[in-house]
Amino acid sequence: MELIKNILYNTDKVLKDFYNWSHNLWVSFNLPVILLDIIFYLLITAAVAAFLVFNALFIIYYDRKVAAKFQVRYGPNRVGYKGILQTLADTIKLVIKEDINAEKVDKIIFFLAPFLVFIPAFMVFLVIPFGKGLIPADLNIGILYVLAITGLSVLGILSAGWASNNKYSLIGGMRSAAQIVSYEIPTVLVILSILLLSGSLKMGDIVNAQSSITKWFIFMQPVGFILFLIAANAEINRAPFDLPEAESELVSGFITEYSALKFAFFFLAEYTNLFLASAIATTLFLGGWQGPFLPPFVWFIIKTYLVVTFLMWTRWTFPRIRVDQLMEFSWKYLTPIAFINLIITAIIIKFV
Amino acid sequence: MFNYIKNIITGIISLCDGLSVTLKHVFRKPITLQYPEQKPDLQLRFRGRLVMPIDPEKNDNRCTGCMMCAKICPNHSIMEIEKVMEDGKPKPKVKKYIYNFGTCMFCNLCVEVCPFAAIIMSDEYALADENKEKFILDLVAERYNLTGKKLNWWKSKFKKEPAEEKVQK
Repeated sequence: MELIKNILYNTDKVLKDFYNWSHNLWVSFNLPVILLDIIFYLLITAAVAAFLVFNALFIIYYDRKVAAKFQVRYGPNRVGYKGILQTLADTIKLVIKEDINAEKVDKIIFFLAPFLVFIPAFMVFLVIPFGKGLIPADLNIGILYVLAITGLSVLGILSAGWASNNKYSLIGGMRSAAQIVSYEIPTVLVILSILLLSGSLKMGDIVNAQSSITKWFIFMQPVGFILFLIAANAEINRAPFDLPEAESELVSGFITEYSALKFAFFFLAEYTNLFLASAIATTLFLGGWQGPFLPPFVWFIIKTYLVVTFLMWTRWTFPRIRVDQLMEFSWKYLTPIAFINLIITAIIIKFV
Repeated sequence: MFNYIKNIITGIISLCDGLSVTLKHVFRKPITLQYPEQKPDLQLRFRGRLVMPIDPEKNDNRCTGCMMCAKICPNHSIMEIEKVMEDGKPKPKVKKYIYNFGTCMFCNLCVEVCPFAAIIMSDEYALADENKEKFILDLVAERYNLTGKKLNWWKSKFKKEPAEEKVQK
C-alpha cells in the first residue's frame, strides 16, 4: 500500500531508489556502469514510445467520439465496449494492407519521409514533464530544444510532398513549409514572454514557477495562451489550419500517395503532435503536473486532454481558412499582438 | 489602424459566437437510429409490401376476385387471380392471388381501387433477397395477420356490406 502510494505520488524518489539499488548490484558484479545507463535510457525510451502509441490509439478514438458529439451522432460504437477497440481494428487493417509505391516516386526520400515526420514529434517528449520527476531529461535548454525539434517536422512533410512526384502532394508540402515557418514566430514570441516570467528555459523550472493555481501563467498571459493555442494548432496542421491536406483542393496533400504502414505513421505523427502541442500548452500555461489530491501524472493527463478537447472543439467549429488569409493572419495579426504582449510583459516585470 | 483594431474585435466576437453554437450541439441527444437494434416508428400510411390480411370477424380474407387491382396495376405486379363461386353465397371467393413485389413500385393504386379494402400496404420494408423467385407470393395462401394500430386503421376503411344493408331494410 505504501509502495503504491509512493509510486503514484513520489515517482521520482522510487525511480531514483530503484536506479541506486540496481547500480549497487551492477557494481558488485564488476560490470561497466555505462552499460547500465544505456539499458536505463533504452527502458525510458521504450516506456515513452509505448505510452505514445497507446495514447495515439486512444486519442484517435477520443477525437472521433468528440467529433460525433459535436455533430449530434454516436460515433464508433460497434467494436468493443462503446467502440473502444475501433482504432485498434483500424490499425490492424492499415498494417495488413498492401504497401503501394507509385512508380515514379523518389524511393529513398519517399520511404524516409514518414519517419522524418514522426521522429521529431517523438524526440520532443524527451523534455516533457509527465509528472513529478517524470521527465526523461530535464535539459537546461528545455523549451529551446522543443522549438528546435518541432521545426524539423516540416522537413519530413516537405520531403513527403516532393518525393511523391505529384502536384497535389508538392503543393501540400510547400504550403505546410510556409505555414510552419510563419506560425513559429508568434509561438516563439509567446514562449519568450513565458520565459520572462519563469526566468528559466528548463521545463522543470517552468512548472515549479507555477506552484499554485493563482501563479499559473494562463492568468498572467491570457492573450498569450490564446495566441499559443492558435499558433500551435497551425503548426501541427490541424483544422482550421489543415491547408497542407485540404481534401477539397489537394486530395490529401502530402499523404496522397502513401498507404498502409507509411500512412499509419503520418496518422500517428499527426495525433502525437496534437498531444504534444497540448502537453506543451499544459506545461507552459496550466501548471504542468501540479494539482491537489490526484497523482501528478493523472493531473498532467487531465489538463492535457482538456486542451486537446478545446482544440477539437475549434476544429469542428471553424471552416478551413484560405491560403492568402493564412499568411495574413499570422503576419498581420498574430505576430504584432504577440510582440505587444511581449513588450507589455517586459515592462510590467521591469517596473512592478 | 482603426479598421485593424475593429477587425480583431469583430473576429474574436464571431469566433466565440461560432464556438457557442457548436457547444450547444454537444448537449443534444443524438438523433441517430441504431438500426438493427432500434426499429423506426412507422406511420400508418407507410407503404411496405402488399398483403391480403385476414378479417378477424370472418376468419378469412375479404377479396372477391373482382380483378380491379390487377387491371389498375401499372407494372402487372398482381399477376394472377383465380376466383371460385361458392354455392348459395352472393360473392365469389378467391383461391389464388399471385403478387410479385419484385416489380411492385408501391404506388398504392391497387389499395385505393379495391372496393372491399381487401388488400393493404403492410409495414414490411426489409424485403431484399438473393433469389428472385422468392418475390412471387400467393397472398391468399399466406393468411397474413395484421396487429395493433394498423388493424384498427384497416378496419375503419371497411364499408358496410350490401347484403347486410338489405337485411336491415
